[in-house]
Amino acid sequence: MSDKLLELNSIHKSFAGVTVLEDISLSVSRGEVVSIIGPSGSGKSTLLRCATMLNDIDSGEIIYMGRKAATTVDGHAVYAPKRELKEISKFFGLVFQNFNLFPHYSVLKNIMDAPVSVAHVDRNEAKARALTLLDQFGLSDKADAYPCELSGGQQQRVSIARALALKPEILFFDEPTSALDPELTGEVLKVIKQLAAEHMTMIIVTHEMQFAREVSDRIVFIENGIVVADDSPEAIFTSDNTRVREFIGKFNS
Amino acid sequence: MATMLSQLTGGMVVSIEIFLLTLLFSLPLGLVVAFGRMSKNGIIKGIVKIYIAIMRGTPLMLQLIVVYFAPFYVFGIKISQSYRFVAVIIAFSINYAAYFAEIYRAGIESIPIGQYEAAKVLGYSRVQTFFKIIFPQVVKRILPPVTNETITLVKDTSLAFVIAVAEMFTIAKQIAAKQASVSALMVAGLFYFIFNYVVAFAMEALEKKLSYYR
Repeated sequence: MSDKLLELNSIHKSFAGVTVLEDISLSVSRGEVVSIIGPSGSGKSTLLRCATMLNDIDSGEIIYMGRKAATTVDGHAVYAPKRELKEISKFFGLVFQNFNLFPHYSVLKNIMDAPVSVAHVDRNEAKARALTLLDQFGLSDKADAYPCELSGGQQQRVSIARALALKPEILFFDEPTSALDPELTGEVLKVIKQLAAEHMTMIIVTHEMQFAREVSDRIVFIENGIVVADDSPEAIFTSDNTRVREFIGKFNS
Repeated sequence: MATMLSQLTGGMVVSIEIFLLTLLFSLPLGLVVAFGRMSKNGIIKGIVKIYIAIMRGTPLMLQLIVVYFAPFYVFGIKISQSYRFVAVIIAFSINYAAYFAEIYRAGIESIPIGQYEAAKVLGYSRVQTFFKIIFPQVVKRILPPVTNETITLVKDTSLAFVIAVAEMFTIAKQIAAKQASVSALMVAGLFYFIFNYVVAFAMEALEKKLSYYR
């Protein structure tokens, strides 16, 4: 097996005639942390939604661990059969900007229900894993709470635990701290750093520049649906590219 | 007075039967109708919309008469005595299903798309997503309008008199005519009120039970 966990090859995506992604390619190796940055409307979130198959691509290739989820035939994307897609979907997890926890389930059930009823993990085993994750994220006293009783930062940590409970190879984050105030943002970023230290493969769409610089192995700068720069954090932060400098400069000042 | 009460109680049992059987059939049927109403298939959606329009646009009393006489006039089948009660249940169920369908639809469409997306990424099947994630949240949201419909149903059971099913109101009217006094009707009114009070109490208890989350 190649060490490329994910390969996106010349992804095209448009909504109602408006091109959002134009020939985007990106590959991620095991253990890598890749941050995707860029201005609003640049296509970052769409790229994530296409990679996690919440949106269909128009053309291009999506390959997880050598298995093709989507390829292009005669200029149009063709997805793998449903069963294969279901298998491929197990390779990744997604953390949403607004958490999307299930409000009628307790924190514990939010985390252990998918392993039990989707992955058919033994109930006790799933529970033990959920409790370990809660403990790891400093939420062990919240197992029986409901999402509405938690702060945004706590909810986001629960949603990260929920995604990790299924043991994905790659974890995607779609602006995980955009709905949080600076204090709560810190809690969530700490958890993501913790995961980076454990060599979890992660792709993070973020506006937290300093965080991206600290945690990432690579930063990808996207604008107008194309990759403007894809390099190490140091190279990005000292880039000669005027557009990249302009964008990062705004955050540094 | 004692005979009047026992006669009315007998009628009330029939009213309660109509009430319970109608809920039993119309609540699940309404969900099926709601799915049809939200179907991506234009033909199914169109048929269901017409069905809902007819059920909501014509009097339930007329629907009772149609359901009761249809087997004879349409199919030439002789109508048996026992069919009266069955016709009431059929007419009430298909009528209330139309109303419940629209309530379900409003509830289902109010659930944020993020719930579906989260379930999809976690690998839940479509059926699991609906019954484990979406439907429980829908139930909580639609309880107030369902309570409204349920209370209306209690009072609508009196319409069964139109095809001579002896529910409480039919009997109250008979007694009132015989005694030339409205007291039986007043007692019947009290019975309906108590019935609805119990229904409202039960629904409120259910709402409370589901108030553990937002």
